[in-house]
Amino acid sequence: MRLNYIKTGLVMTAKEVLRNRIALILFLLIPSLFNTLIVLTTKDRPITLHLASIPDGTFFKVSERNETLVFIALAAAGFIAAFLGLNLIQKHIGVDRRLVLCGYRPSELIIAKLTLLLFVILLIGGYVTSSLLFFFQPRHFFQVFLGFILGGYIYGCYGLLVGTIFKRELEGILCIILLGNIDVGWLQNPLYYAASQNKAIIRALPAFFPSQTSMVAAFTDHSMSQLFMGGIVYGGTLLATGLLIYWWKMRIKK
Amino acid sequence: MNNEYILEVRHISKSFGKHLVLKDITFKIRRGEIIGISGENGVGKSTLLKILSGFLPPTKGEFTVQGRIGFCPQELLIFETLTVRENFIYFAAAYGLDQKKATPSWERTKGELIEQFRFRCYEDTLASYLSGGTKQKLNLSLALLHSPDLFILDEPYSGFDWETYLHFWRYAEELRARGKSFLVVSHFIHDHSKFDSIFQLKEGVLQCVSTI
Repeated sequence: MRLNYIKTGLVMTAKEVLRNRIALILFLLIPSLFNTLIVLTTKDRPITLHLASIPDGTFFKVSERNETLVFIALAAAGFIAAFLGLNLIQKHIGVDRRLVLCGYRPSELIIAKLTLLLFVILLIGGYVTSSLLFFFQPRHFFQVFLGFILGGYIYGCYGLLVGTIFKRELEGILCIILLGNIDVGWLQNPLYYAASQNKAIIRALPAFFPSQTSMVAAFTDHSMSQLFMGGIVYGGTLLATGLLIYWWKMRIKK
Repeated sequence: MNNEYILEVRHISKSFGKHLVLKDITFKIRRGEIIGISGENGVGKSTLLKILSGFLPPTKGEFTVQGRIGFCPQELLIFETLTVRENFIYFAAAYGLDQKKATPSWERTKGELIEQFRFRCYEDTLASYLSGGTKQKLNLSLALLHSPDLFILDEPYSGFDWETYLHFWRYAEELRARGKSFLVVSHFIHDHSKFDSIFQLKEGVLQCVSTI
């Protein structure tokens, strides 16, 4: 691993992302827009909630608006990370291959991209967690932040995987929107989950660990470390699959 | 391998599924030679170059190269949201040409390319704002940056104006005088005097049509 290669790759990738000013503005606007919509449309009334990761049948009384704010913040972090992951891999796969032909190793290019993706996920996670403070104080602020980071990480890895599979943008966008909508935008919401059937399917979807982590941290005093580790493993599996396909696509006959 | 030849291609075939694109291609390039390959669209010229540059594996056959290759693909493989200078830096890093420990040859090559292709006023311009011809010049320059011994160029002057075309050939002649070799693929080779040999690719078979 050559650090100067990774550093150049990281600097150039960061410059490219920073020059996409409209996307950067959207990164900031989307979570605020989501929060505004929730505040305008959801009542601040108490609801009784059951969380899938707390098996003893414990129910919690929380504000419907606060619960939805946490849920939608996770959706924002997940969507942004997924689209960035997709963009980082898919946009330049041809030029990246040329760089590999010229002497870069695929691992050096992907480490540069992953470092940038992780940095953006941290920023977005911090932003969406902080924005919750305008509306309510989560029980465990830092753990909620970790939950959002986890959501960004898993969906970032999913975006990366989709970017390695599909050559064209449209297919990638569809894959992210379709899964994102049904998973992080609907099925993982505890309001739906409590009354759903075939819960095993919902547990197998990407946003299960991050949504449970952030909900547990925001409204209970239960431990979320197992959930967090489960999410790390889940994202790691997506990442490993994406890296394998990326490496296969980047291979050069020397 | 004979040192006289920089590239030796032996019995290369390539098929995609049942479609045989290249059939038993064999040829050699000496040091300081400029070889052209022409042929109609879709006959496999770019496929041959992609094999020689390492982008694609051949189905059969082999080739050996003595020295470094500079490959200019037909499609524009440049970073559109980076400036010309940043594209140079990124590819220089890929070639292992460290900016901070700039060697005289790297500085000389970069200076030559900027002069030959008149990049001076575009150095800090984003590649996406360049004209089609200037993008192609950048695409080509990125293949020449590390002073390779063999230039494998796929339609290198498509989009060039006449003056740039002449500049390109003047520069190619200078490099040839330094012992560099060229394999140029184009569907349009009209000036045979620029080449030592010209091959035509037809129905997957390579035939020599002109030798000086």
